[in-house]
Amino acid sequence: MSQEIIHKINDPRGMHARPAGQLVKLLSSFESKVQMSVAGGAAIDGKRLLLVMKLAASQGDELKLVFDGPDEEKAALDTAEFLKANM
Amino acid sequence: MSFLGKLFGSKPDPVLYSPVKGEAILNDQIPDPTFAEGILGPTFAVDPKEGLIKAPCDGTITQIFRTGHAVTLTSKDGVEILIHVGINTVDLKGEGFKPLVKDNEEVKKGSPLIEFDIDLIKEKGFSTIVPIVVCNPTDFESVTFIKPSTVDNQSQICTIKNKK
Repeated sequence: MSQEIIHKINDPRGMHARPAGQLVKLLSSFESKVQMSVAGGAAIDGKRLLLVMKLAASQGDELKLVFDGPDEEKAALDTAEFLKANM
Repeated sequence: MSFLGKLFGSKPDPVLYSPVKGEAILNDQIPDPTFAEGILGPTFAVDPKEGLIKAPCDGTITQIFRTGHAVTLTSKDGVEILIHVGINTVDLKGEGFKPLVKDNEEVKKGSPLIEFDIDLIKEKGFSTIVPIVVCNPTDFESVTFIKPSTVDNQSQICTIKNKK
């Protein structure tokens, strides 16, 4: 099984360097693999900062994250909370 | 490189040069905790004396930010680098920045990447400090920046050791 979350970006600046970095730091703390994509585009490794920044998610874009691994449930819950609070 | 290293074709350790001319500062003087605490990776910061960002090594542009205030590149030896011009400068929405490269463009050390207007950015109330971050340190044995000093594009600012 895997866990999936979708978050619509609220920040008018989009996902810029600082929140992208904080997100990658959080994702890297989980054992689970994380695939990330924007608006149905190609999925990238959510633990690689340069790739996450390159998604260039803008306000209104739907960010999709799929967690797969032993701590996927906690990872999805914690990440959803972080996204709500920060972007 | 050791004899065995040569024999098995291991690569030389990557080196980074300063992407901008200026005075390097201590990380705790960067007015942004994300960079000051190295949250994005090992960080070096320069107070620029010239509004021109140059490539710190040979490599490929991963992304030039739409607003021209930041650029990421991947060196030919796999180092992933973020160069962020100024602090909170995303809010200038491109004003004062002129990107000189495109995504996926190949660059050589010293290739001009971004032109920026130091006076304008300061007038608008932003710090022009340029943080430089190695974003994939776990791909290497170690990433070591020099102590703060006066730097330009000829100054080696970072030594990276490949994993054995």
